[in-house]
Amino acid sequence: MTTVSDPVDDFTKRFMGEPPPPAGVKLTEQQLRARRARSIAIALALGAFVIVIFLVTIVRLGGNVLTRPM
Amino acid sequence: MSLTVARVEPSIAGVGDYIELMKPRVMSLVVFTALVGLLVAPGHVHPVIGLTALLCIAVGAGAAGALNMAFDADIDALMTRTAGRPIPRGRVTAGEAAGFGMTLAAFSVVTLGLLVNLVAALMLGFTILFYVVIYTMWLKRSTPQNIVIGGAAGALPPMIGWAAATGGIAVEPVLLFLIIFFWTPPHFWALSLYRAEDYARAGVPMLPVVAGDRETRRQILIYTLLLAPLGVTPWLLGYAGATYGLAAAAVGAVMIALALRVRVERNGHAASKQMFAFSILYLFLLFAMLLVDRMSGLVFGHFAL
Repeated sequence: MTTVSDPVDDFTKRFMGEPPPPAGVKLTEQQLRARRARSIAIALALGAFVIVIFLVTIVRLGGNVLTRPM
Repeated sequence: MSLTVARVEPSIAGVGDYIELMKPRVMSLVVFTALVGLLVAPGHVHPVIGLTALLCIAVGAGAAGALNMAFDADIDALMTRTAGRPIPRGRVTAGEAAGFGMTLAAFSVVTLGLLVNLVAALMLGFTILFYVVIYTMWLKRSTPQNIVIGGAAGALPPMIGWAAATGGIAVEPVLLFLIIFFWTPPHFWALSLYRAEDYARAGVPMLPVVAGDRETRRQILIYTLLLAPLGVTPWLLGYAGATYGLAAAAVGAVMIALALRVRVERNGHAASKQMFAFSILYLFLLFAMLLVDRMSGLVFGHFAL
């Protein structure tokens, strides 16, 4: 006997029914913590880099920063 | 060398592991000698520019350290002193360390060039390249003269500091370069005397492994006899005052006395260990005294005016 599946039922199962198993790599608690710490360190380093660029720009330009044609 | 780029598990490396890759203790000596080069240079450097230069030199030194660890992971795993480094411990892969080192190297050199000056940036770039390619990749595994020639990389920071302040090079920073250059062999050979088994196991042709204990002790004495007078030359050539000259002569005499003890030592390594420890203090004292001499000259000169 051949069973014919209901296309509407199939659609519901595929798109609205049970969620599929998570794809990709599942990080452990330790890996997540390490990644977060590394991300914070990179953010701080980039922030420090921006501050250095800003300060050196001010020092290099000095008062001339105000004497440009508007 | 084995460069493990692929990793099965996602990284668990913390920030501390990456800091360790930058060899913070070596970095502190590099920053200190560069600071002295920067401050003894004539003229005035704006503090922000000076700090930026030091930051770039520190990051550049860290980059060289990370690249060294990436390439030397196989050797490091075999030696007791280095087996606990992040790559042999499996915290960071050699590929990650190489990427980290190259990123830091590029950022430090370009930033120094754009924000401070081109001469200093070129010298920093040359220093990193020399340490990684000439010392780490080539000399370290091929000749007992590895640390003699490779020592040039560690001797360049005061010249970079001077170049950051003046945009050029002069005799005085070359003297500072020579002091560190002649200091490196007795410093490292004193260490390698009591770590010879480590180096032999890793196949690194350090002098005690290749030429033996006796020859190493003789070479330590020769280099120390060259180093001690060299330490006094900034005074003899008029770059520093008599206080510096006398103090440099005194610590130089201690270095010679220790090198003589290392030369006659037959059993154990007490003298070698003492020599290694004091050599660090010697370099620190020499540069600190030079700094004090220059700073006191500036202060007293200011009041005399």
